[in-house]
Amino acid sequence: MLFFNFSLQLFAVPEGKSGPQVIEMLTKRAIALGAVLSGSFIVDCETYSSTASLGAPRSVHLLHNSETPASVFALLEAASGNKTVALVADNLFDLLMLKLSNFYTAKKQTKIESRGPRFEAGDFLVKLGSVTMGPAFKGILVEVEYQACSLPAACWDLIREFMQGFLGGCVPSTPPPYIQVCSFFLLPSRFGDMLGTIDGINQYLEQFNAFRKTTGIR
Amino acid sequence: MANQNPFSAIELFTSALRSNIIPNQEYLLQGSVIDSSAEVLHNRLRGLCDAAETGPETFHDHEMCFSLKASNPGGTPQQQQPFLLRVRRALDHPEYPWQLRYLGQPELGDKNQPTVLRSCIDIACTPNVVEFLSELGCRIEFEYVLKGYLFRKGRMKVTMSKIFRMGQAKSPDSLESVTGSYLVELSLLAPSGQDAVADEIKVFAEQLRPLVHLEKIDYRRLQQPFT
Repeated sequence: MLFFNFSLQLFAVPEGKSGPQVIEMLTKRAIALGAVLSGSFIVDCETYSSTASLGAPRSVHLLHNSETPASVFALLEAASGNKTVALVADNLFDLLMLKLSNFYTAKKQTKIESRGPRFEAGDFLVKLGSVTMGPAFKGILVEVEYQACSLPAACWDLIREFMQGFLGGCVPSTPPPYIQVCSFFLLPSRFGDMLGTIDGINQYLEQFNAFRKTTGIR
Repeated sequence: MANQNPFSAIELFTSALRSNIIPNQEYLLQGSVIDSSAEVLHNRLRGLCDAAETGPETFHDHEMCFSLKASNPGGTPQQQQPFLLRVRRALDHPEYPWQLRYLGQPELGDKNQPTVLRSCIDIACTPNVVEFLSELGCRIEFEYVLKGYLFRKGRMKVTMSKIFRMGQAKSPDSLESVTGSYLVELSLLAPSGQDAVADEIKVFAEQLRPLVHLEKIDYRRLQQPFT
């Protein structure tokens, strides 16, 4: 599964509209573009923090994606603060995290997820996610993936045009930062597809962290 | 292809835990056989185990043991206890995923319990697991190389392996064997509560006598200084 051509876009909820209303509106627009509903999806994230006894504080973000149901993504923010180590593991990693509870504990009330319908439109995959933290609705994240090409720089314009087609003006015309740095991912590597998947997960984590810092709806 | 209605990973995990289908208990017997007798045991195992005609799988693994413990003395007693994690990689198959393993305290039980029982979590992962554990706060305690054979008999696993010291050069040529014998382990991984399998293991171990005596090894007794 390659996620190289993956873009995660925040869709600002218009005033006076509820989350389900926005999802319904975007669903209609996506269907008008020829997208076909194909199930639903969920990406979730739980954050564990180190206890004081370990010294310098560290956090482990544990993410799951229904697109890769047998994997757990553990993103560790190092004590130095300027490094993140991204481990991809079998789903029994969840069980190990429970065993580590003497050293790493889940932060209360910070479990966050994006879930909603999933569409296919030719080579595009579209996911309309309602983001909730605990019981609270936080906003809408739209994921678009172009599956036919693995050169992000070569097809950003295509993704942008497709996204603007149903999201409108909120899509920036300049590529997101990850596309500019992704030449790293294009190096021949045995773990290339792992890095690709991690790249998508990183974008979710960035957005989730921004949601956590915001009170109310973004 | 996504499910029509995907459950969240946590829901699936909780339900797997509740219905007790996660194989996280290891039933274990251990023993050793001197190098000069290894071939006899090898032939016996080959005859008794599955896939007798193709022979056993071979393995050549590097194992590192990491510990996580409180860095300041203020922690709870549980935090003062080191938490051990093992990382294994196949030296002969660098393309294989690396393995992260948690092993709980071995329970010996009374003399009616046929095998050692310990909780065990095996997790395949990406090769950056060593960097991940270091940043998590773990310290490497020891490492070694294991080379040997893996036999299967139904759900049971029998390994016969030699342990080598990790040379300073960390190259395969600098391997120095620790003892003049093979470590023999008979194990089975099952969800908790399936104690009947322990008897199955015991019966199989009896069939290997007198070539090798597989027993419940009490590590605490081994760790006591000789008097």
